[in-house]
Amino acid sequence: MNKVREIINTGDINRFRFWFQLAAFILLIYGGCLAINIGNQLPTFACVFEEMRGGSCYLMGFQHQTNIPFDKILTGRGIGLLTGLITFFLFFILFNKAWCGYACPLGTLQDWLTSFRKRIHLRYSIYAEQTFQRLQSIKYILLALLILIPLGMNNAIFGLPKLNHDFAVPFCMICPGRTLLPIFTGDFSQLTIDFSSKTKMIFTSLGMMVTGIFLVGSLVKKRFFCLFCPMSAFHYIFSKAALLRLSKKGDKCTKCGNCYRVCDVGIRGIADDITSKNIVKDDCMMCFKCVAACPEEKCLTVHFLGLPIYESTEKGFFKRMLKGKK
Amino acid sequence: MSADGMQRKQNTIRLHLGMEVKEFFRKITEASPDRPKAMEYFDNFLRRIYCDDAAPASTRPLIGTMCVQVPDELIYAAGAVPYRLCNGSSTYDLCGAEFMPAKSCPVVRATTGMLHAAQINLKEQLAAVIIPTTCDQKKKAGELIASMGYKVHFLEMPSTCATELSRNYWQDSVQEFTLELQKITGQKITPARLKKAIQKIGAAGRAFRQLYNLRQGPLPILSGVDAFLVSNGYFLDDIDNWTAAVEALNNELIERQKKGTTVGNKNAPRFLFTGSPPIFPNFKIPMLVEEAGGVIVTDEACSSTRLLYDAVAYDEEALYDMLPAIADRYLKPCTCPCLTPNENRKRKLLEMIDSFSVDGVIYQAYSGCHPYEMEQMAINDMLAEKKVPMLYVETDFSKEDMGQLTTRVEAFIESIQSRKRRKKI
Repeated sequence: MNKVREIINTGDINRFRFWFQLAAFILLIYGGCLAINIGNQLPTFACVFEEMRGGSCYLMGFQHQTNIPFDKILTGRGIGLLTGLITFFLFFILFNKAWCGYACPLGTLQDWLTSFRKRIHLRYSIYAEQTFQRLQSIKYILLALLILIPLGMNNAIFGLPKLNHDFAVPFCMICPGRTLLPIFTGDFSQLTIDFSSKTKMIFTSLGMMVTGIFLVGSLVKKRFFCLFCPMSAFHYIFSKAALLRLSKKGDKCTKCGNCYRVCDVGIRGIADDITSKNIVKDDCMMCFKCVAACPEEKCLTVHFLGLPIYESTEKGFFKRMLKGKK
Repeated sequence: MSADGMQRKQNTIRLHLGMEVKEFFRKITEASPDRPKAMEYFDNFLRRIYCDDAAPASTRPLIGTMCVQVPDELIYAAGAVPYRLCNGSSTYDLCGAEFMPAKSCPVVRATTGMLHAAQINLKEQLAAVIIPTTCDQKKKAGELIASMGYKVHFLEMPSTCATELSRNYWQDSVQEFTLELQKITGQKITPARLKKAIQKIGAAGRAFRQLYNLRQGPLPILSGVDAFLVSNGYFLDDIDNWTAAVEALNNELIERQKKGTTVGNKNAPRFLFTGSPPIFPNFKIPMLVEEAGGVIVTDEACSSTRLLYDAVAYDEEALYDMLPAIADRYLKPCTCPCLTPNENRKRKLLEMIDSFSVDGVIYQAYSGCHPYEMEQMAINDMLAEKKVPMLYVETDFSKEDMGQLTTRVEAFIESIQSRKRRKKI
């Protein structure tokens, strides 16, 4: 057991993650061809607009189900919403936010763009701390909107008139997953602006804009889109209950900032927060690069059901650092 | 002073320095006859430098450094070799005292004194002197050193490590230093060279950490004085030779641990040394502690642990990521008292007290070293709260206070021993 643990702790998580992401990408994008369907409430962007998918993103179903009149909440439709949420929750607590770091096709796509940027020796950009703080609330606003807009189709919220049917699945309309992921099956049809109604035109134009921003943004900034992702905000509501955890021993931490440096989303708290035991912050995608970059013995630990599965070790750190040294 | 007079002065200094160092080694071999064999390497190296006036081994340009915040990785990557100038000899302290205030820090005085007295040799050998703007005395000494004709580069350092503002400022400062270094050595720093340099220091850090971990064991297998000798060798030695020598020492210590060979009594009170750095050949306080029956199991000094403990990690093999990564390593975990606030130091001390099963703390402040003098109170309060006894000693490089210090150190160790005995009963 100790041998296995040592092999894992001294291993190369980035390489493992690359292959895992590739496998997850193939499964979620082409799984349907092999008659695989993992589920329809997945806490990750397995886009519903993509025909060969091996599972479906929950946000689509969620937006459909929140399209519900208030007086119907206590009927079958309410139960449908509830069971959907519970299934999502069960999927989610298994892997916590590692769904983002290891499975999300949109995340993987961004990581591939990052690899491409490294190849062409293009410098990355990072946010100043204040900008980062300011941008952080956007994902929560998007999450609130994707619940409120469908609700507004059946109910007069704040006394506003009910929204028309073109407001269905508003987030999907602007999500770059809808426009980009079908391309991998040769389907370019989502890369269009729908002129059939004013609402649709606005939404699909927004979608095209977001797609452009997504491509340019994630080429210059690691995991650019994740900071704004409402799925990430949704995750964070349940994160504390998850079985997969990342914990930190604050008294072991020297605040050297190695973890912060390698963090693709730029979470400063991973280095400077020495009081939280559970160190999964709302932007975290649980890629565990921080664990690999930490030279302190067992300062950062990945737990599953309380069992340590990957830990920061001095030996592992120096092995990775000195790899290829003559 | 005439060239002749200068030469005579240098001869006298060499004589005194030689005597100081010989006396030092006589004392430590007398005090602990069963030192690890692998210590011979470090003894011989320092003897060669100080007694035989051996020239630095490398033929590459030497970059003199003051303070641990100078990123040595960059110096190696630029094709030069770092040479830590901080000096601990009372001979050079006296040289410095000729033109520096009586109440200044003896390390700064000795270092400036050395650069002053050894002008002819060192000025030719040192391509530049890098001075991080840490404490006021080092900064001002930098001006003196520049006026002696050395090429001085001030590495601008912020006064805190806790904010993003300071971090960005320091990263810019390190960037500028990189450009300056390239100008000095004429060699371009490339990602491949920098990676090699990071690994070079990483290997030294790994060896150092192994030694650090070995000393956490229940048996005292290495004296604190020897540990300081090892880290002081790093100041001036060829890094690859030094790393190999530390690895050899570690292997010997593992053997000794298996056999149960200890330095001194295996139940000797265990001490953590902190405060102003012991620098060769002035290990006055560590020696007093160990002569009185204690053992220094670890330290939080910039001449030892702080020098090598931290390690660089970067994400992308490109200068835009590696340079800030190196900058981070020298600022973010830094526990130098010139930083305000200095919570990291308090946390580090507590962590060490715990992991090294420390019985007491020895806090040295050189008279005139204001940052350590000022921080003493906060550390004292913190330790009192945790019920860890601390001895605060204010001293310098002279021998005048030895009698008084011996009594205090002995009394402190005696009180800890009786405390330990009481605990056992």
